[in-house]
Amino acid sequence: MASSEVSINRKIISEDLSNVEFDTSEDVEVIPTFDSMGLRDELLRGIYTYGFEKPSAIQQRSILPIVKGRDVIAQAQSGTGKTATFSISILQSLDTTLRETQVLVLSPTRELATQIQKVILALGDFMNVQCHACIGGTNLGEDIRKLDYGQHVVSGTPGRVFDMIKRRVLRTRSIKMLVLDEADEMLNKGFKEQIYDVYRYLPPATQVVLISATLPHEILEMTSKFMTDPIRILVKRDELTLEGIKQFFVAVEREEWKFDTLCDLYDTLTITQAVIFCNTKRKVDWLTQKMQEANFTVSSMHGDMPQKERDNIMKEFRSGQSRVLITTDVWARGIDVQQVSLVINYDLPNNRELYIHRIGRSGRFGRKGVAINFVKSDDIRILRDIEQYYSTQIDEMPMNVADLI
Amino acid sequence: MNESTSKKILFNKSSLLSLKAELLKKQEEVNEKKQLPQHKVENFKPAPSKPTVETQNNETSKKSFKENLKAVDTDDLEANRKVKSALEKKAELYEHLKDGAGDSQLAGRFLVDFKSKKEQEKEIQEDHDLNESEQNYQDDENEWIDFTDCLGRTRKCHKSDLDLYMKRDHDLMKVLSKDQDNKNENEESSTSTTAPKTEKPLLVQKTNDYLQSLREKWEQKEQELLAKDKDIHYQDLLFDEARIHGVGYYSFSTDETERRKQMEELMKQRQETLRAQQEAEQVRKKRDALLAARVAAARARQRARAGLPPEEPKENEKDFTTCLLEFLTQQKNEADAKAKEEEKKIREENEKERQKLREAYVREWDLGKEGVEDKVKKFREMTQEEYVEQQRSKRIDEFAPPQTSSSSKSLNTFDEKGRSVSSEKNTPAPRTWSDVRPKAKTPPPPDIGDLSALNEQKGLYFTSSKKPTTVKYKNFVQPQEPVPIENELSDEDDSVQKPKPQKRKSEVEHAEIAPPPTYDYYGPTPKHSRPKKPFESDIREAYAQGAKSLESKGNERQLSKQYDFTFD
Repeated sequence: MASSEVSINRKIISEDLSNVEFDTSEDVEVIPTFDSMGLRDELLRGIYTYGFEKPSAIQQRSILPIVKGRDVIAQAQSGTGKTATFSISILQSLDTTLRETQVLVLSPTRELATQIQKVILALGDFMNVQCHACIGGTNLGEDIRKLDYGQHVVSGTPGRVFDMIKRRVLRTRSIKMLVLDEADEMLNKGFKEQIYDVYRYLPPATQVVLISATLPHEILEMTSKFMTDPIRILVKRDELTLEGIKQFFVAVEREEWKFDTLCDLYDTLTITQAVIFCNTKRKVDWLTQKMQEANFTVSSMHGDMPQKERDNIMKEFRSGQSRVLITTDVWARGIDVQQVSLVINYDLPNNRELYIHRIGRSGRFGRKGVAINFVKSDDIRILRDIEQYYSTQIDEMPMNVADLI
Repeated sequence: MNESTSKKILFNKSSLLSLKAELLKKQEEVNEKKQLPQHKVENFKPAPSKPTVETQNNETSKKSFKENLKAVDTDDLEANRKVKSALEKKAELYEHLKDGAGDSQLAGRFLVDFKSKKEQEKEIQEDHDLNESEQNYQDDENEWIDFTDCLGRTRKCHKSDLDLYMKRDHDLMKVLSKDQDNKNENEESSTSTTAPKTEKPLLVQKTNDYLQSLREKWEQKEQELLAKDKDIHYQDLLFDEARIHGVGYYSFSTDETERRKQMEELMKQRQETLRAQQEAEQVRKKRDALLAARVAAARARQRARAGLPPEEPKENEKDFTTCLLEFLTQQKNEADAKAKEEEKKIREENEKERQKLREAYVREWDLGKEGVEDKVKKFREMTQEEYVEQQRSKRIDEFAPPQTSSSSKSLNTFDEKGRSVSSEKNTPAPRTWSDVRPKAKTPPPPDIGDLSALNEQKGLYFTSSKKPTTVKYKNFVQPQEPVPIENELSDEDDSVQKPKPQKRKSEVEHAEIAPPPTYDYYGPTPKHSRPKKPFESDIREAYAQGAKSLESKGNERQLSKQYDFTFD
């Protein structure tokens, strides 16, 4: 009998994908203008008033497949309009006369979920769309009331959303699309189970959209478990860094010197707005205190703060009242503040993906940006690895760094 | 009149109290210092000479003044007298103002409120009296007493004053209780921030205050959002964000009715704009047509004047070549369109097929959901053959028996039964995404060859980049090819035998000289070819028999569809 034949079904399941190279799908159409996408008039108006004029590369490619109902995996450089991409697609495929949750957007941090809510409301300002941010750290009763009121779109964090689903406050019956923003983070070890829990409550074969600036191979491998023949729009990793973000490093011999360097840079920080990343919450607290003792005005934010305080700090930073923010990786992904033009890695990030996300807080939507890495002598190796991995260039910081901002 | 101009000095009652406390503290300090030896009253010399010193000074100054007067010129004297007279006038005026404070016409012209000043002076006088009376008590230390006021402070006062202070304290408490109700909310929110603020410079404090007010504003806004069940719009969530919007951005009101009105207005204006654009376009077209007609008429007149026949209408202007070109391009376009349409049709068909597949596809995470179970096959016990097949499919190809013999055998048996073709038709292979997808690249054929070449390539160079998977298989077939020893023994020419190893079998059969027994036994030639052998143990025959028996068993059971028996 045939010895070398393999049953096809088995092949699909047990296929070892670790050697398969994922490429952008071949039949992806490119649509050069918003006008030619066949979007609703009210949505078009919302897009233009929000400030978009011409769709970015990712918007040209992925809006239509999502609107058509296909599962989509979309990757694009930081700050090139990924949030708007799926927001526009969501708004186009909504039925606003049906006052039930039709789309669920999940993201890793509360601030990001709130931001997505804001973007959806902004783009759909003329459509009378209702979008709720269903996040932890807020009043449960209010959350329930808002959901009962009827929301077309729910943007939230997995924990609270799952809670709401279990309480049957968030009805999943009409949900036709699930969007995972920062998908690689959402499908990482910490979040994957929570995503699975939520997914189990959705109708079978719900449309799934994955979005992120970084999509490691192992994430792409697992997508067949919850997606059907997805359209992939991917970016090679040597094209992942943006030309507009200049990257530098400052070599310091000892950890203590980082603080002095930061103080020297303070005037540069306040030219517009700056974000300083540390690797731990404790270090954030420590650095904030030390800066304040040295009479520098800084604000800080991390996950151990009460949500009220986090909200206030976000608002202050967004309104431009505070200009320097010291924070952890809670701020690394997705947060969009137009005026941020400088990112400082006080500590180098723990993985390559985070580096891309951190420096991507500056240089939003075509603006200029500068990233400065503080490296001790033994860190330089890590930095060189990052440099090589993304085929980018990280030079020693020049004296005139302020001119580049 | 003066009433209106009098300036009210606003002060906090608690500040008065703290002032008083400060005074008491100072007095206490003074008392403490008095205890010190150098300040003891006994040691203190009341310096009776002091006033005399002053008077002496006065005298000396007067003296010197007189001396100076003698010395200075008359001009200076004149100036001095002027100054003096001016001062005297001023003093007179002040006197007048103080006396007739209320009535004076002049009072309005001065910044000093003389009326209240007069009253104050009276008060000061009284206070002075009080102080004096207090001072009287200072000597007897034992008369002091401690009491706790309404603010919880421990205060010290003279026994005789206790009643007075108690009364004051009582009044204060009344005032405070009134104030507290108003202040309570504010204070609670600000106590945490005000404490460290006071130490900071004014600018920082101001910005902090501003931030505080902003925060309060946001808080209030959020409360409003939560309070009512109403639609939430972008404006509600903006919270003073510094964001640059598009040119057409319009900040709607946060009030629902107002917002609706604004929206309607916007739509109306939009309609008007569209209408205006259309009208303008029409006007432009009309004007252009008019202009063209006029130009044509002018040209016609010109030609008429020159004696030329009138111009033919433009359509007939084209000559033969342009016509031909047009025709050809039109044909080409048509062909293009047709090709495109066909392509589109094919793509659509593919898409449809893929859509079908998509619908049939069951996601792993969907298993067990409502409406999904019936699609999924339940667990089924495998037959022996299926199990063997499965194990075979798992086997690494390198460990499989030689491909050629087994496949040809099994193919033959299928043919004999006459079942293989039909059974293949009965079980069409489930197609996958990759079958339907527009094919761009086909995977390269397996590379079979010398593995040593591959090892040399490796070297020390490593990359993290993923390479296309070209797996080189070791050639296991080659060593089976009998080359060596037999040739030494045979009479035949080497050159004849080498290219046709298949012939070897028959030729060996007729060999006149038998090979040595050791080789005969262990040698590579198939044993069945030797009839002299005491027993038959042909592997191929045994294999065929086994396959046959399997085949007959397989007839009884139908293999599941998921097993595919196509050969290529």
